[in-house]
Amino acid sequence: MSTGLLETRRLVARYGSVEVLHGIDLSISPGEIVVLLGPNGAGKTTLLRAISRVVATRGAITLAGVSIGGWSGARTARAGIGHVPEGRGTFPDLTVEENLRLGGLARPKGRRSTTREDLAQVYATFPVLADMRRRAAGLLSGGQQQMLAIGRALMARPQLLLIDEPSLGLAPMVTQQLFEVLAGIRGEWSTSLLLAEQNARLSLRIADRAVVLAGGRVTAAGPTADFRDGDVIRRAYLGEAAGDPVEDEK
Amino acid sequence: MTELLQQVLDGLSTGLVYGMLALALSVIFQGTGMLNFSQGEMATLSAYVTLVLTQAGVGFWVALPLTVALSAGGGALIERVLVRRLEGAGELSLLTLSVALLLGLNALMSIIWTTDPRTFPSPFGKGLIEFAGLHMTVQQAGSLITLLAVMAATALLFNRTSVGLRLRAVAQNPASATLLGQHQGLWLMVGWAVAAAVGAFAAVVAAPVLTLSPGMMAFPLLLALAAGTLGGLSSRVGAVVGGVLIGIADNLASRYVPGLGRDLAIVAPFALTALVVMLRPAGLFGKTRTVRV
Repeated sequence: MSTGLLETRRLVARYGSVEVLHGIDLSISPGEIVVLLGPNGAGKTTLLRAISRVVATRGAITLAGVSIGGWSGARTARAGIGHVPEGRGTFPDLTVEENLRLGGLARPKGRRSTTREDLAQVYATFPVLADMRRRAAGLLSGGQQQMLAIGRALMARPQLLLIDEPSLGLAPMVTQQLFEVLAGIRGEWSTSLLLAEQNARLSLRIADRAVVLAGGRVTAAGPTADFRDGDVIRRAYLGEAAGDPVEDEK
Repeated sequence: MTELLQQVLDGLSTGLVYGMLALALSVIFQGTGMLNFSQGEMATLSAYVTLVLTQAGVGFWVALPLTVALSAGGGALIERVLVRRLEGAGELSLLTLSVALLLGLNALMSIIWTTDPRTFPSPFGKGLIEFAGLHMTVQQAGSLITLLAVMAATALLFNRTSVGLRLRAVAQNPASATLLGQHQGLWLMVGWAVAAAVGAFAAVVAAPVLTLSPGMMAFPLLLALAAGTLGGLSSRVGAVVGGVLIGIADNLASRYVPGLGRDLAIVAPFALTALVVMLRPAGLFGKTRTVRV
């Protein structure tokens, strides 16, 4: 697919001397929801960090046809890649609304005038945030913090939103609600979504395509329908699929 | 009673200096997350700049904004040239750098201006203000107004502008701020510039009272650090109140505690600080960070 919003070709990432991604080919189309599955240490977080340019990489990476390989993290964010990091990364001493406004400061030029409307839309998507807008973000519960982190990233009006383990540490009920909201985001905010997620069952339900990572390589990829029987995933998680065994990872 | 109030007022002379310097420390702490030991020497350098400008015939009220602008530029330069090399090297390295800066700036000033103390005329004049049997120098009154104005300006900057929002965000969580499109280096540089500008005001408040020499701020810096501990470095108001309280406690102890005298009285504010920290570890106004996980 050469019409992709985001394309990576033979993407290699390393932390110091440890190579974590061994050549990833990935393509995401506009408006698509892609889920990244794989066991702990498969390289999901690193792939997201590589896409948002906060970890050094080799190989090609393009956003809407433009090579972003040499860009800084800040520049990449301004170009329309939103990233909700592992652990959410909210600013605990800032209020909920300050966190959201900060997200709005990163938006591309020409979209600045709609900040107020977008803030209202975030509050409509996550009503609980509106009730707590004056509260310090550090006082929110885990689920509320996750909503805040997603809302904050949306305020930048991303073309592509990366979300790292949204269900981590959340109660099953909260996770369920969160995924319902995520399913609606692409329509309401016209963005593509790349989710790194351990909860395969829920994420396969909302995604169009799944990519399975193991040992820093793509071991399976395709429409989510192909993964519904769980077989491919089970093999990937147990390290039986093509590629390196799970023990090989960082 | 009048006597006691007068002693409190007299304590303001030094208290305002400590408060102002503590404000600069608090600003850089909130704007960059760093404790800067060289803040005092940076302020002293600003005072010399003002002196050079006024001796060259520039009027004080023109020299002051010039000094503030030059100091801000100097602060930004220090960040860009020195601090940025240590990006990601950890707090201990930054602390060491700030001590190195303290020594380096002090040596630089001694080379250029010698260590001889110089008189620095009060920009506010020499008069006394008298009311209800109390008196206060014009310098004290001017310092107080300056301090309140700078506090108000920094409060506006930090709480009401997007610049302040970015500064706080980068200081609190640089990784997250980057993911939101904020250039970490740029905003740390701005944080240094703002703190250096506040330091320039501290210099103007301090120099007429302490007489200007390269080591002028060495002792006030210690007390400003104590003030930050007493009031809470994470709160600008707390740092200022801490500084003023320390000046007042010092003066009251030298007057009323038998056997202490002028030189030993300084134990009193430190005792006060120790007591407060035992009861409230984050200081009088400090925020203990509450985070739910």
